[in-house]
Amino acid sequence: MVKNMTTPMDESEIQAMNKSFKILNKRRKKLLDNEKTRKLKERVRQIREYSISHLEELKVEAVEKLQSNGVEVIYAEDSNEALKAIYSLVKFENTVAKSKSNTASEIGLSDFLQTKDIQVVETDLGDRIVQFTDKKKSSHPIGPAAHLSMEEIARVLREKFKREVKSDPQEILNAVKEDVMDELSHCNVGITGANSLAAQDGSLVMVHNEGNISMVSLLDTHIVIVGIDKLVGTLEEAISVVKLETIYATGKTSPAYMNVVSSPSKTADIEQILLMGMYGASRVVVILLDNGRSKTLKNSRESLLCIGCGSCIVTCPVYDVMGYEFGYGRHLGGRGVVFSRYLRDKEVCFKSGLFTCTLCGQCTLDCPMEIPTNQLIEELRREMVEAGILKEKHGETARKIKKNGSPYSQ
Amino acid sequence: MIYFRGCTVREKLPHIEMATRQILKMANIDHHILDDEECCGSFLLRTGFADDAREVMAKTAEKLKGEKVLVSCAGCYNTLKNDYKEFLGVDLDVIHISMLFENLIKEGVIKPDKLPVNVSYHDPCHLGRHSGEYDSPRGILRSIATLVEMENIKENARCCGAGGGVKSAYPEIANKLAQKRIDDALETDADILVTSCSFCLVNLQEASGNPKPKIKVMDLSEILLWALTRGK
Repeated sequence: MVKNMTTPMDESEIQAMNKSFKILNKRRKKLLDNEKTRKLKERVRQIREYSISHLEELKVEAVEKLQSNGVEVIYAEDSNEALKAIYSLVKFENTVAKSKSNTASEIGLSDFLQTKDIQVVETDLGDRIVQFTDKKKSSHPIGPAAHLSMEEIARVLREKFKREVKSDPQEILNAVKEDVMDELSHCNVGITGANSLAAQDGSLVMVHNEGNISMVSLLDTHIVIVGIDKLVGTLEEAISVVKLETIYATGKTSPAYMNVVSSPSKTADIEQILLMGMYGASRVVVILLDNGRSKTLKNSRESLLCIGCGSCIVTCPVYDVMGYEFGYGRHLGGRGVVFSRYLRDKEVCFKSGLFTCTLCGQCTLDCPMEIPTNQLIEELRREMVEAGILKEKHGETARKIKKNGSPYSQ
Repeated sequence: MIYFRGCTVREKLPHIEMATRQILKMANIDHHILDDEECCGSFLLRTGFADDAREVMAKTAEKLKGEKVLVSCAGCYNTLKNDYKEFLGVDLDVIHISMLFENLIKEGVIKPDKLPVNVSYHDPCHLGRHSGEYDSPRGILRSIATLVEMENIKENARCCGAGGGVKSAYPEIANKLAQKRIDDALETDADILVTSCSFCLVNLQEASGNPKPKIKVMDLSEILLWALTRGK
């Protein structure tokens, strides 16, 4: 497991990823220059700015509203608390279904459940494929298998299913779909993330293209893991956020599906008697996760504006040559490096690539929230150097400059 | 006017200092260099040595205050122009060679020839994205050669990889990024890749290869001097 986290991408994976990113970047270019997108971006920027300025109030409001809607809420300070809470909900299950969630990856949910002998079925196509690979690492928050070529994917599936799978996109889709549908039929619990959480309405918004979240969220118990950074005021605001995220992440104005979950499935069709669990989940549990986000807000404030579109890594020149080695877990690229400081600690932040960023500023320009990551990284470097965590070469050069006014002097 | 060369030009790239001063001489611009010129502080700022940076910057600020300052390096430009204001509250009168030389051409003070070459221009992050200066270097290049642009330019110019202390601590990463930028240039019809930052110049030249570079990489001052002295 530890090895997987640090195994860098190889050259062919980097090339496949660059090819995917190039196609994505071309597809979204016209849409990003569009006046409507610019207006939406401005609006979302205000929404996110308001949200992180009123995070405490929104937290309280969200918990109250969700509970009054009939949703159970568990507040988790860190990964351990979140994992403990989830385990108590799924401990009698053999297999649970899951959709793509960067927050679930952040707390290491799949690995954790594996250690408890509970199988996790990834239902997102890219995620399911990545789950079958040795490294188990994704290269983009929305397109996790962007670094795998079709040939490589077919090879992985042949090995996994022990049967012929041709290097053909439709055949790959069919093979994975059949496998996932079969697994789903044994599951009672579905675990998803949420792209946005509307505090005033107690509503969770989930965006997907494959339709998998619709299935996973209809299982008997639906667990939603959501970071407090996903909080906004109203459902309308939440929709604006996820629409912009979709535009920047995929180059399309809307995803195939937007699911809104505000309560368990219910009906009052018989004499106005409230019954739960008609077709959908009879139980919805929200794990509201901090895990360093409050600390981030305090120390690297702007990075919490992030809406998770992954735009920053598509054009990052360092990510372009290093891949997911630059970042932490699914928090990829420079912003991920910043977040790792609070999610984990200084050492992890250093190892995530604090000093491999060239501070070029491209990500800020391509970020819909204009997060000044190069400045945040510069600030974190100051904190590190003060704590004695630095590149020896930099220390040497700094000494030369201080002594003789030049980095080249002896 | 003080011509502030910057550490890399001062100690590693004397031909850029010579080219720049020769152009200034041709334009009859009175200037001097500091005998005790020291680092602008950029490296220290970018790599986390805030206290040391402040000390070095204060020293350099004392020497530059009240005079017009001309710089060769985009890194020095961004630091002297923007960071001195933010960190020391010192508002220096700084100008990059691209801005000065473009003006001199426009005003007819210097009259360069048109060179029979295609050139591409690499925007240094410090001059471009961080300082918003994209047009002056291009103005010069259009008047002395045929400018053929790469796909990603101006705001979207791919970083050469030398910045933020990456070249000194992770030379292999810096080189990989520079290779990509060289590849960008090779996709155009350019004979020469021009830039206006001593860090970019060194990094791109190394990536382009020596002694037989994939593409010749030059500083803006060098190619301008060539256009000014051609056939003379």
